[in-house]
Amino acid sequence: MRLHTSLRLAAVVAATALLATACSSGGGDETTDGSTGSGEKVELTFWTWAPGMEEVVDAWNAKNPNIHVTVNKQDGGDPAVTKLLTAIKAGSGAPDIFQTEYQKIPTLVSSDALADIADVLPDGTKDHFAAGTWEAVTLGSDAVYGVPQDSGPMEFYYRDDVFQQLGLQVPTTWEQYAEVAEQLHTADPTKYLGTFSATDAGWFTGLTQQAGASWWGIDGDAWSVEINSVQTLKVAQYWGDLVEKGVIDNKPMYTPEWNAALNDGTQVGWLSAIWAPGVLEGNAPDTAGKWKMAPMPQWDGDNATGNWGGSASSVTSQSKHAKEAAQFIAWMNSDQEAVNILVSAGGLYPADIPGQAEALANPPAFFSNQPDFYTLAGQIAQTVTPFTYGPNVNVAYSAYNDEFGKATEAKKASAFTDAVQAMQTATVDDLKSSGFTVKD
Amino acid sequence: MTTTLTRPSPTPVPVRTSLDQRRHRPSAPATITLLLGALYCLLPVVWVVMASSKSAGELFSTFTFAPSTHLWDNIQELSTYRGGLYWRWMVNTVIYAGVGGGLSVLISAMAGYGLAKYQFVGKKAIFYVILAGVLVPGVVLAVPQYLLLAKVGLTNTYLSVLLPSLISPYGIYLSRIYAAAAVPDDVIEAARTDGAGELKTFLQIAVPMMKPGLVTVFLFQFVAIWNNFMLPYIMLGNDRLFPITVGLSGLLNQGASQPAMYTSVITGALLSIIPLAALFLTLQRYWQVDLAAGAVKA
Amino acid sequence: MTTTELAASAAAVRRRRRLAPYGFLAPAMVLFALFLALPIGYALYLSLRTVKVSGLGLGKGARTEIWAGFTNYTAALTDPEFIASVVRVTLYGLLLVPTMLGLALLFALLLDSRRTCGKGVSKIAIFLPYAVPAVIASLLWGFLYLPGVSPFYYVFEKLGWDVPDILSAQWVVFAIANIGLWGGVGFNMLVIYTSLKSIPSELYEAARLDGASEIGIALRIKIPIAMPSLILTFLFSMVATLQVFAEPMTLRPLTNTISSTWSPLMKVYRDAFTRDDIYSASATSVVIAVATFVLSFGFLLLVQNRAFAQESRS
Repeated sequence: MRLHTSLRLAAVVAATALLATACSSGGGDETTDGSTGSGEKVELTFWTWAPGMEEVVDAWNAKNPNIHVTVNKQDGGDPAVTKLLTAIKAGSGAPDIFQTEYQKIPTLVSSDALADIADVLPDGTKDHFAAGTWEAVTLGSDAVYGVPQDSGPMEFYYRDDVFQQLGLQVPTTWEQYAEVAEQLHTADPTKYLGTFSATDAGWFTGLTQQAGASWWGIDGDAWSVEINSVQTLKVAQYWGDLVEKGVIDNKPMYTPEWNAALNDGTQVGWLSAIWAPGVLEGNAPDTAGKWKMAPMPQWDGDNATGNWGGSASSVTSQSKHAKEAAQFIAWMNSDQEAVNILVSAGGLYPADIPGQAEALANPPAFFSNQPDFYTLAGQIAQTVTPFTYGPNVNVAYSAYNDEFGKATEAKKASAFTDAVQAMQTATVDDLKSSGFTVKD
Repeated sequence: MTTTLTRPSPTPVPVRTSLDQRRHRPSAPATITLLLGALYCLLPVVWVVMASSKSAGELFSTFTFAPSTHLWDNIQELSTYRGGLYWRWMVNTVIYAGVGGGLSVLISAMAGYGLAKYQFVGKKAIFYVILAGVLVPGVVLAVPQYLLLAKVGLTNTYLSVLLPSLISPYGIYLSRIYAAAAVPDDVIEAARTDGAGELKTFLQIAVPMMKPGLVTVFLFQFVAIWNNFMLPYIMLGNDRLFPITVGLSGLLNQGASQPAMYTSVITGALLSIIPLAALFLTLQRYWQVDLAAGAVKA
Repeated sequence: MTTTELAASAAAVRRRRRLAPYGFLAPAMVLFALFLALPIGYALYLSLRTVKVSGLGLGKGARTEIWAGFTNYTAALTDPEFIASVVRVTLYGLLLVPTMLGLALLFALLLDSRRTCGKGVSKIAIFLPYAVPAVIASLLWGFLYLPGVSPFYYVFEKLGWDVPDILSAQWVVFAIANIGLWGGVGFNMLVIYTSLKSIPSELYEAARLDGASEIGIALRIKIPIAMPSLILTFLFSMVATLQVFAEPMTLRPLTNTISSTWSPLMKVYRDAFTRDDIYSASATSVVIAVATFVLSFGFLLLVQNRAFAQESRS
């Protein structure tokens, strides 16, 4: 039970702290360009939903005639995981490589869906990534369940033109954020500084992460669940107050209506992550050059942020070519050429630290008005606080959708904190009924 | 005895010679009510046409019923998406719906004919068991079907979507009604007296008589497979085998860090409705379902 | 041919005739067994199983499948979310089914009436939504529902009307029922219209000679004759209501008011696809299937003698 022992050792720092610290790049050795040695041609399938993956794969296939990768685009929702787990249960049908969101790794590992590639990964791969990011794919153990691809440190995006027009200050604390939200909404009742979205659990998780929450933890051989920690309750109460006052909208994000609000300037701000430029460009192309990015408002003096989004590439336990698959994902996520394509075609923020400087030399086209976009982003990325995901994130997230759906509709601050308690109960009950050891 | 009075074939509506011409005056309230119903059903379709003519920015910033000029751009963008994958999905969907619908009709027709025209042990039981298949929702069946097909290595193939689509309780139910109403017993007896075998009687006598009804069964099964989502979603990993429904769903759900491709999805939805609308228009006379043909007694 | 040969061949014919129906039914039965019966049996088996995890649940062999007895069933039947979803769907059905069948009957009568114009166009238009998959239909209506992008709300606003948000908690069931109505009215209209067309015209002429009005003919002749079709459309609509899924599922990300367990089948989906718990999902779906069966079987018994009177007399 190697894993168990090492997990126990890694108790505190376990799981997915995505500290994108710009630490030294280590050895910086180039990963081999996939020469298999044997002349046998290997076919690999790759399930992903991120855009731009075809371009990276084309580049790989051109250079590696013996390891041919085929991209199969999947639906990016939760069911993609179920589809993989069904194939794992059936014993066949899983791809060789799977795009895994960080929060799903514990669930997939617990279902034995991911291969441990520690022994087949090219040497030095680990040195390309920040320690916290690497822990997300090892769960703090000796095993390696994937290679990090991108991360999503959170920032505050706002309409610079509207801020200037109304003479608003960019908030640096949450207290100021609340004030600005009220000033804005008073000045123009159709406008909001943001919305509390009950359909985006990952977004709320990032906000609580910034406040210092970590919803799960490993304590010896038991899981602990701390969704109802003071930090989470503080964040819930804060947003509940804003929604109750009516100065923050209560409609979900990613709806056609929200897209329209981004276009017509009634959503003036968005607490989002580093990948936001792509979403804004896709949804509101005409607002190019009007947005700016700033660090998240802070709770107290120290700089902190949370994570929203980001994923790793994993080899599934059904792959018959784990070695070749590991070579490919190592190359895709840590070779300079590949990382450049990930940024240019996929619009993501690469987890590979040595590659960032070259790949992120220019700001995203949508933010050409902010030339230091990635310099600032790099500084913010270093302030991500640790956070541990548990094996039933899906249960907690679906409880978030239901409970906060009711709370945002009720527009009562007390309903927001009740929702947090209900999430805690649902998550703990689920772990216990499945037989997990849960620390009370 | 049987009556063919209500045979579901599209017999031309008898010209109702009227005795009282005054009753033929068009009624304004009746016409308006019907047209309102038509308007209600058409509005969202008109909206799709309008929306698919808009660019991504316009879709969310201009009045929704005002058309724009980007329809062709949107179609081109959709067509170039990953080397024309959308059109491959369209072809796949036609294969699933066409081949699946065709074979399903044959199987339903045989079963319906067997149930309607023979007396045998277990007839009622078999019929009700098949009908009960309607009661179990597809969402539930998809995962067990996957696990079972995986055991014979058929997942992620055309067959994994085609085979489960062949069995249609509704199709069997309708075929039974059609066989009962359209194929008189004495015709079958006459064929038998002439020395025709059972299969020959079915293929050469019964099928032609049931044909209009079978076209209807085909059309409905075609639409059912065309619109199916859950089965292909679970069965297929290879995106080159996807039908349109699963493909479009992928364009819509690309995760939080990507904008949903609304314009492509809407344009894709419009294009996917066109073949079915064409089927409606060209085969109009077959779009009729007599669920209870046998019930009308002369 | 000798008499024995004749008798033998007659016996062969009789045997063939006895076996023929089984031959005709064989392909359907085999497919039914493989793709419906077997998966249903498998689902029944799964509904009695569950997964037990040990310790942290990480690593190989941490999960084992064990027998659960009826615990999945008791959990399903006592789950307040499930009961709430049944209540919601009952309300949804009470709204949708009478409206849909009422309108379907009305449109069918209007299509069959001699005093209506624009029949050809209307028939196609009303049937057209049938060609739109429920997922796409819900996406379209979603656009039409959201005040920020809806042309309807745009017009309401210009007119100065204060129309409540149809996706708000009180109204959302109407929003979902409307999509069901839009997609279903055409099919049901067609069924009823088909049965009306099969009425011999002499029946009307006789009534007209007696001085009956068009409405009188509709009420006293057409509706009674369409009754068997109405009964069956009612049955199928009821089954579809209990299985409502795609519409609320697609609308859900657009609003706060549709929970992940809004309808019973959505709960099945959440358990199976979000929580990866196919075991409780199977149990819940068995409960749904049995309830559907009980409701519709009694109904079917009621109508079957009428529906199949014709052939059983032969």
